Amino acid sequence: MTAREGAVVVLAAAGFFFTLSGVVGILRMPDLYTRIQCSSKTITMGALPALAAVVVGEGPVSPYGSRALFVAFLLLVVNPLSSHTLARAAYKTGVPMWKGAVIDQVGQPAGDQGRSHENGDG
Amino acid sequence: MIGMTFGVACLAGLAVAGLLVIRLVRGPTVSDRLVAVNTIATQATLAVIFFAAFAQRTVYLDVSLWLCSFSYLTTIVWSRYLERGLL
Repeated sequence: MTAREGAVVVLAAAGFFFTLSGVVGILRMPDLYTRIQCSSKTITMGALPALAAVVVGEGPVSPYGSRALFVAFLLLVVNPLSSHTLARAAYKTGVPMWKGAVIDQVGQPAGDQGRSHENGDG
Repeated sequence: MIGMTFGVACLAGLAVAGLLVIRLVRGPTVSDRLVAVNTIATQATLAVIFFAAFAQRTVYLDVSLWLCSFSYLTTIVWSRYLERGLL
């Protein structure tokens, strides 16, 4: 096994495990906002090593490597955009937070009344 | 060896995305389902690009580019509908 093959295997495995943890988070998290957080951060960070595996395996100038780089750029732009838009729209239309949520820094306090006012930040 | 890795990664990504169907079916709100759909689209992009590198066919690269650049439109349109009530 050459060094390049080893790098491809390691990068693909890293991407797979990041993606697996993100999917488990989406399945197990208690409310919409935490699920959006898993979908936004962990899935993007799982996709980037997988695309890096394609770039390393095929070379950055080959058709596959260049498209993988472009897809990585698009994912970095598009995934946070859609997550932010969805979270903002869900918050504005009053999708409930988890019962154990401690603080809601945008609007009213979520769990126990008045804690965000005591902290003085918001 | 590298081609085999790409094939295994394609299948593994599809299997992991299959788990998201649970959230797609059970999601309490439509937004939960859209989170699952978004993630499935990302995984489909990765699976297609892995399959293109596995089978050495450049045709599939365009499929993955299309999936990646237009999958977010579902979320954008749904958020716009939620916030403004018009499409």
